[in-house]
Amino acid sequence: MRAQPALATVIERLEGTLATNALRHAQRLHQSSTVARKRVNPVNSRTDATYAPAMRIGKTVVLALLASPAIAQGPPHNGPRPVDPDWFALQGARVTTAPGEVIDGATVVMRAGRITAIGADVAVPDGATAIDCTGLSIYPGLIEPFLPTDVPALDDDATDKHWNPMVQPQRSALDGALVPEKEREQLRALGFTAVAAAPSGGILKGTSTVILLDEPTAETTPRIVRDRAYAVASLQTNRRGYPSSEMGAIALLRQSLSDGDWYERCRAAVARDPALLADAPQPSRVLAAIAAQRRLPLWFDTRNELQALRCLRVAAEFGRQPVLVGSGMEFRRLQALADAGAPIVVPLQLPDPPDVSTAAAADRVTLRQLQSWEQAPSNSRRLLDAGMEIAWTTARLNDRKDFFARVRDARSAGVTATQALAAVTTVPAKLLGIDRDCGTIAVGKFANLVVCDGELFAAATTVRDVWIGGRRHTINEPKDQGLDGTWAWTAGFPGTGTPTLTIDGKELTVTLGDDELKVTGVDRQPAAVTCRLQGEALGEGQCWLRLHREDEGLGGQCTTTDGRSLAVTATPAPPAHPADEAAEEAPDAASPPPPPELPTPLGGYGFVELPEQQTFAIVGATVWTMDGRGRIDDGAIYVVAGKIRFAGTRADLPELAADCVVIDGAGKHVTPGIIDCHSHTGISRGINEGGQAVTSEVRIQDVVNPDDVNWYRQLAGGVTTVNQLHGSANAIGGQSNTVKVRYGVRHPNDMFFVGAKPGIKFALGENPRRVNWRSGEPNRRYPTTRMGVEALLRDRFAAAEDYARRHAAYRELPPKERARVLPPRVDFELQALAEVLARQRWIHCHSYRQDEIFMLCELANEYAIKIGTFQHVLEGYKVADAIAKSAVGASSFSDWWAYKFEVYDAIPHNGAILHERGVVVSFNSDSNEHARRLNTEAGKAVKYGGVPEAEALQFVTRNPAIQLGVFNRTGSLTHGKDADLVLWSDHPLRYAAICERTWVDGRLLFSLERDRELRAAIGAERHRLLQLALAKGKQRHSEPGDPKDAYWRAEEYSADYCCKNDLGGRR
Amino acid sequence: MIHRRLLSSCAVLASLAAFPALVPGQDLLPKGAPQAAPVVLHNATIHTVSHGIVLGGTIWFDRGVIGGVLPAGESVKLPADRPKPVHIDLAGKHVFPGMISAHTSLGLIEIGAVPQTVDTDETGELTPEALAVTAVNPDSAAIPVARQNGVLAALTFPTGGLMPGRASLIQLDGWTNRDMTVRADAGPVVAWPSTRAFGFRFRHRASASPANDPSKRARTNRQRIDEAFQAAQRWFAARTSDPTIALDVRHQALVPALRGEVPVFVLANDAEQIESAVLWGTERGLRVVIVGGREVRACTELLRRHDVPVVLDGVHRLPRREDAAYDEAFTLPRDLAAAGVRFCIATGDEFSNDRNLPYHAATAAAYGLDPQRALAAITLHAAEILGVDDRLGSLAPGKDATLFVSDGHPFELTSKIERAFVQGRAVDLRSKQTELANKYRTRYRQAGR
Repeated sequence: MRAQPALATVIERLEGTLATNALRHAQRLHQSSTVARKRVNPVNSRTDATYAPAMRIGKTVVLALLASPAIAQGPPHNGPRPVDPDWFALQGARVTTAPGEVIDGATVVMRAGRITAIGADVAVPDGATAIDCTGLSIYPGLIEPFLPTDVPALDDDATDKHWNPMVQPQRSALDGALVPEKEREQLRALGFTAVAAAPSGGILKGTSTVILLDEPTAETTPRIVRDRAYAVASLQTNRRGYPSSEMGAIALLRQSLSDGDWYERCRAAVARDPALLADAPQPSRVLAAIAAQRRLPLWFDTRNELQALRCLRVAAEFGRQPVLVGSGMEFRRLQALADAGAPIVVPLQLPDPPDVSTAAAADRVTLRQLQSWEQAPSNSRRLLDAGMEIAWTTARLNDRKDFFARVRDARSAGVTATQALAAVTTVPAKLLGIDRDCGTIAVGKFANLVVCDGELFAAATTVRDVWIGGRRHTINEPKDQGLDGTWAWTAGFPGTGTPTLTIDGKELTVTLGDDELKVTGVDRQPAAVTCRLQGEALGEGQCWLRLHREDEGLGGQCTTTDGRSLAVTATPAPPAHPADEAAEEAPDAASPPPPPELPTPLGGYGFVELPEQQTFAIVGATVWTMDGRGRIDDGAIYVVAGKIRFAGTRADLPELAADCVVIDGAGKHVTPGIIDCHSHTGISRGINEGGQAVTSEVRIQDVVNPDDVNWYRQLAGGVTTVNQLHGSANAIGGQSNTVKVRYGVRHPNDMFFVGAKPGIKFALGENPRRVNWRSGEPNRRYPTTRMGVEALLRDRFAAAEDYARRHAAYRELPPKERARVLPPRVDFELQALAEVLARQRWIHCHSYRQDEIFMLCELANEYAIKIGTFQHVLEGYKVADAIAKSAVGASSFSDWWAYKFEVYDAIPHNGAILHERGVVVSFNSDSNEHARRLNTEAGKAVKYGGVPEAEALQFVTRNPAIQLGVFNRTGSLTHGKDADLVLWSDHPLRYAAICERTWVDGRLLFSLERDRELRAAIGAERHRLLQLALAKGKQRHSEPGDPKDAYWRAEEYSADYCCKNDLGGRR
Repeated sequence: MIHRRLLSSCAVLASLAAFPALVPGQDLLPKGAPQAAPVVLHNATIHTVSHGIVLGGTIWFDRGVIGGVLPAGESVKLPADRPKPVHIDLAGKHVFPGMISAHTSLGLIEIGAVPQTVDTDETGELTPEALAVTAVNPDSAAIPVARQNGVLAALTFPTGGLMPGRASLIQLDGWTNRDMTVRADAGPVVAWPSTRAFGFRFRHRASASPANDPSKRARTNRQRIDEAFQAAQRWFAARTSDPTIALDVRHQALVPALRGEVPVFVLANDAEQIESAVLWGTERGLRVVIVGGREVRACTELLRRHDVPVVLDGVHRLPRREDAAYDEAFTLPRDLAAAGVRFCIATGDEFSNDRNLPYHAATAAAYGLDPQRALAAITLHAAEILGVDDRLGSLAPGKDATLFVSDGHPFELTSKIERAFVQGRAVDLRSKQTELANKYRTRYRQAGR
């Protein structure tokens, strides 16, 4: 009986207090006690009443918040309670109550922090302070939905915590200082009235809290609108441990969410049958928090558009309701994100202009960077046009003050005023679940208002006041309190005549007829101005002038140097120059045209539309079918709807469809698409999850980077299918992913080779022993020897067997009985290994030396499993028979050797000898560079072992297809298979062979013709954009790696950690 | 006559086969025996490089030196006082001059990741006194591996620091490193600093501290290099007039370069690096050879004007910039040739795969470089740039008989090298690798499978 009471308490605590409800309750009480209403004379309230310092919320004067629950919860009051009425009426403003809804000349009445009335004919209640807002505009208070906040991490000594410090979902923004006043002040100055503070740091970070942004006082604690608005997660990595890679971060996120669900199910089972408690999981605040957060939306703090898609995938797996905090780069994967449809909180930071200060610097700027820079301002417009729900955040801006300017950029790109307002009011309110309290100006809602002197966000507009929960915060005094204008100086002019006074801010001019007096020493206050006058009209003397507003005109004093002191009167005069109305902005008059459709991916080689599946035939070429028919001279191939309809001799070619494009293949060669069985191309942020010795839970599938230009380069080398492998840092690495090189598809997942045999990377020898690491850190991780590697594998296989047994037993229970037992925990690490043991997942094992290869063969035999491939397997020739028996195949380099001790016995004859012994052999690249030349790499099997040409070519077509379990679909030119094929200019094993065209699924994704056109287009586009960047000539240039720049930050998170050298190799 | 020739050729083959079976490990093969008798190769397609292709011609060499290349039908007149020549019929075969790998660390490294076997990097950043050939291990297993594909000479480089030492030109056969030496001091190596940081993570971290500003660091380091040469110049001038001035091995090492007797091999890839290196070298009166040359397209005019040659570090490289043409590196040799820049092609790969040298040239040929020119880029032009074209790089009378026989063009991946001669010595084309292949094929034969 140890867990149940504790569990219940924890869950209860997490279900939480509801400050919002308490507030609402207080407000109802208050309303019922207010009966009398009376009009206040609007004339008297005009200036002095409005801006009387005593009424202002300042450092010294505090208005008590009647019935505020915050106070009720505060310390005992020192002295008599202040009972000041806290109701106000703002009159005469143009009120935008909600995006697109405007009431002119309206009165907004608020009491006890809430809006009680709104409308054109609303009476001002007795005792309310009426404030004239004629000529001003009132908008709903803005809402900042995402403000990362420091929350203290759990103490290292804490007992109830997750094993991994990146998982701290039990934290709440309330555990920290919430929002420091400095930040509140910045936000208020922009019109923000409510903010969702989100804990920062970690993967599962905790829950956010929505508070009002008013200035804290001795007697008020932050007013909480919603104590738990959402849970926050990100794909943060851990430099010093697990997870060290993005895929590791995703795996940890996945496991944690799964554990939360499992914990909940266990708890439910225990609730049904307390006897189960003995075997139930220990009480855990962490897991309870994850479970409780099922009821909240899960917000993902993403650093680029690919991360966003990855997070959505995880959310979907666990039925979570996702909201994305974006990067500003969403437009680069617009369609995929639009398909998913999750709301996005969009930061408005723009990339800095690329550094084009020198020719060398400009030469390094990529087209992708230029395009991203140019198109970033259109991000919000594109998202809105795609029908997405977006809110804006000031997060990620280097200077929050730029927010309005960035809003204007978005407006210039075509975001309408209504959309803009919604993005900072109604949408965030909805996303935060506070739309009953915030987001619009409506009765019952918080009195959160922005009072400004023009259209919100317009360049000329100044925010005057921000009302937060009925408390006024003056942001800017009005610059003018009735002095500006043109006046006739009717009395008190020391000379003769009636001069004209014109006051325009700090400019003061005095003209008498055609003469202009010299005005010096102008000192302008909001309600008064002093200056000195000099001029012929005054004789030789000068005078000092002081003016203030008086009745309908100006009053003041004019003192001359000869000692006279004259009382000045000035009356309004018609303006000399009528105001230039035309110059004012007409914001929504001409919405800019939709921005141009962008290719996917950006960077020069993408497609706006993926090419169609052509119906075509290549006639007269030498066809290498790779299905045992050897080389067919004067052959033909016919493709319909992405499948091979025919491949053989030209004589046997069936009748072609009418729309069939016929390509003359004379002198050319056709082969199946090249298949690279060992690649690390297109993997974001780490090909190794090196944080642990066993990481079978991580999945390359989670981190496919479809933007990698190496995909295109490999298409240019005829590559159509690739096995993306985890690295070799650990004995049991991550799950591999087979893709087709469908460069230009909408979603990263569209590259997956559906139906390929799932794989997993294992690694033997020096790398998992980590002997070649030169970090200087002592190696404390098991294993350090080949012996340890074997023991570890054996142990994990045994664990996976147990695991599979437990789950199978549970699955086999009838549903009724299943409800009576505790569900077994899903462990993604063991699950992947259980799949291996169940022969559903093939091992692709990094290996070099014969002893280690032999070891794994024996282990596989013992478990009666087939190994997919030995990778590298450079001493495979020494134990070819064992490999032939235990593995589907061997995938080797053609001739690399001697880069480390365990490859000193590597020989280029390896492929040939393995082939002779009946092993299915492939040659792979393990390099972005080699991958482009695998056809000639295959030629080395002819050279160093006399493998017949057609069989050598199978090393990079048929054989890797078999090794990846896709030979039923690709790898040979056989009727019914996918039309993955290459047209070569010459014999594919010859050095002179140039890949002329590459089709994937019958789509022509590479051709020399298109490549030539693209080069010209890239040149032209670079030219245009470099000109544009030069014209900007902005002060700040972003440098690669600059974490403050929107482009480089996003880029860093899509790139690969590995330093890519010229040769692109790793191994 | 024909009969005798056949016999002789059989004798050569028999002598090759008589070598003992090998245990894997270091190179356990005997080196080539000095050329005892003239060798006459008949009926071959002779790729002279300097004088075109001779179909069905004859080439003969004696005492390690080529005696003549004769067109089909002309008969050889051998010196009378020499032993009976060895005649070899090469119908259907090709003869090429030995290929020269112009940028490698062959002989200085046995296994990349085993520091005990890496002998390239002396302590200190300015160590011109380090002479590569001193540390060349004649029994390195990597040497026969390169040789078996027709690479018969290599310029081997010390590495690391600003001036790692002096490169040495070796031929890939010899009992001692002296036997292997073609030119011990081929010229000092300078790693000309780049003003650019590599990788954006790096750049970010570096920019955090002004001391790490790459362009400032480059300026300082360039001054250090320049100062090293100037100090050597002053020392040499002083010592010439006052022989009592003590020997400074560092300064002494730079004297041949200062006197223009050897070039300076400047490692530079960025356009800015190349440009500043050429201007520096010109100002100091040094004969600069650019090694690397990744961005050399931007500097062709300067290089041509100052007649500065380039050792291209491989053709199999990725484009520099994401949106650059995929074949940017493949077409670079074509463009250099068109621009009139002197260049040769190296592998830019690891020391252990110098054997792939012809495939770099082959790719250049596939992408527009004239195939003859591509062949010259790994033979004669390399020899010219290294200043040894009097001995290597083409098949012409008076040059070393350093050549190989193959069943096809070395550019073709499926071609096999059948014989090779270094200074007339028939060298063994087996290697650790061929013997390991034989050994394990034996294993399967023993098992009767």
